[in-house]
Amino acid sequence: MTTQHAASTSASTPPSDPHDNIVQAVDVCKSFGDKKILTDVNLTVARGEVVVMVGPSGAGKTTMLRTINRLESIDSGEIRVNGELIGQRVNKHGKVVERSARDLARQRADIGFVFQHFNLFPHMSVLENVSLAAVEVRHQPKSKVNDYARELLERVGLADKADARTRSLSGGQQQRVAIARALAMRPALMLFDEPTSALDPEMVGEVLTVMKGLAEAGMTMIIVSHEMGFTREVADRVVVMDAGTIIESGAPEQVFSNPKHDRTRQFLSKVL
Amino acid sequence: MKFDWPYFWESLLSPSPQFLSGLALTVIISVVAMALALLLGLVIALMGRSRFLPFQLFASLYIWVIRGTPLLVQLVIIYTGFAAAGIFRFEDTDVLGSLIKGAVQAAIIGLMLNESAYISEIVRSGLESVDRGQNEAALSLGMTPMHSMRKIIVPQAIRIMVPPLGNSFNGLMKSTSILSIIGVSEMFQVGSTMSAATFKVFEIYIVVALYYLLLTTVWTFIQTAIENTLNVRAGLPRAEPVFKRLFGIRSRKQATPAPAIALQPADAA
Ligand SMILES: Nc1ncnc2c1ncn2[C@@H]1O[C@H](COP(=O)(O)OP(=O)(O)O)[C@@H](O)[C@H]1O
Ligand SMILES: [Mg+2]
Repeated sequence: MTTQHAASTSASTPPSDPHDNIVQAVDVCKSFGDKKILTDVNLTVARGEVVVMVGPSGAGKTTMLRTINRLESIDSGEIRVNGELIGQRVNKHGKVVERSARDLARQRADIGFVFQHFNLFPHMSVLENVSLAAVEVRHQPKSKVNDYARELLERVGLADKADARTRSLSGGQQQRVAIARALAMRPALMLFDEPTSALDPEMVGEVLTVMKGLAEAGMTMIIVSHEMGFTREVADRVVVMDAGTIIESGAPEQVFSNPKHDRTRQFLSKVL
Repeated sequence: MKFDWPYFWESLLSPSPQFLSGLALTVIISVVAMALALLLGLVIALMGRSRFLPFQLFASLYIWVIRGTPLLVQLVIIYTGFAAAGIFRFEDTDVLGSLIKGAVQAAIIGLMLNESAYISEIVRSGLESVDRGQNEAALSLGMTPMHSMRKIIVPQAIRIMVPPLGNSFNGLMKSTSILSIIGVSEMFQVGSTMSAATFKVFEIYIVVALYYLLLTTVWTFIQTAIENTLNVRAGLPRAEPVFKRLFGIRSRKQATPAPAIALQPADAA
């Protein structure tokens, strides 16, 4: 999956990104108050890779995922997305400082985020939810955006719901709209925080099917999920988090059938 | 009891030009003060939500002082007190070809300041009522916080804010009656002058009361129409019918929990 584009490396390609890694998190630490949530987390995700993050509740999975699009700031370490520090930059004195709100928004536009509780905009129709950001943020013409939004709704199996109110949809349908909404920005990376854990069991399948389709289409994804069958199927790599650190990382078969860490074994015995 | 019916009907149905201009002034002062108070209230609310501590402190102090002192006292300080101390004097000024009395300017400023403190609290709780996830979704799509505020948060918060804001405006229209204390010739002041000249005290104040009732009733219709438009646009059930809210009849059970209605029951007059 990891390919080298030696020939195409231009001056604008940062030297810190030699292996085409889309995400590169180094020694990330984060506390809430005096409670340490993330301790020296290192995570590298290559373009096109599907990484599934698992671990017990409270391990810091959501927090880690949110640092990748800077919904959460970090105390130390660094996170690069597409080679750029996310939400931070190095100023002319070599000091790491916050990026402007506008600059951070530009970075986030390339990172799709799917929330556990969907967070659709209830004051808009389904189609408006999907097309809003492309029109407002990317300033693309509305008719073109609407065409693409309808295409995406078709892809997630909701072509007939374009004009519906989000309130009238089931949880599974809302989550599929949320995925279409994120895809409308043509993101380079998609982050999913337990996208099916708020759903009734009979609706989990329809959302996972959409995500499998994305994986097959080559989308780079980091997914927090406890759906082990799904993980086995789509994950290139499973990352196990516990108490704010990554304790294990590897191919799904290896992690599931031959875990190295006791805590992984304990956790897996509960979810498998 | 002596009640001069012919005089009463005459005053009610064909009010004098002075009375009508008093009525007009009441409406104009109310609308202008409310419009300005909305802007200032939004600014105070945003300062209160700011991460910048001096802004937060200023907003808290402002709300504390304004809400903790009577409007009457505030008006007298602004108009009479400031002038007496040589701080500031409201002079009659020409605005777009019409002369605006100093007292009217002071009235608008005073009502605006007073109302903005209450409005900022309404705005604050309206903004807070929108789930945090809404803002996070907007940010994750590449919107700036300001953009998210405009397109995602405010449109949803407005629906929550309209009923209490409408009630606030209702109260504002009625509190214009105390502007007579600084010599603004609004409806109440014109009424007092008339009653002093004719001794028809009871008749005149009943007429004055009925005109205030007319204003607040008309406003209740407008407010209901606004709430309905917003609810329909959001795909929610309609607001309470006007006659119910005018007479204080509230449905005991809401069919669906519509926060715009449930949070702050709107009562008329
Ligand atoms: N905003 C916050 N403020 C304080 N503590 C938080 C906040 N967000 C998360 N936490 C705490 O951080 C820990 C990790 O949370 P989280 O990242 O949500 O874990 P996971 O997603 O693995 O269940 C939990 O103990 C949680 O209570
Ligand atoms: Mg979580």
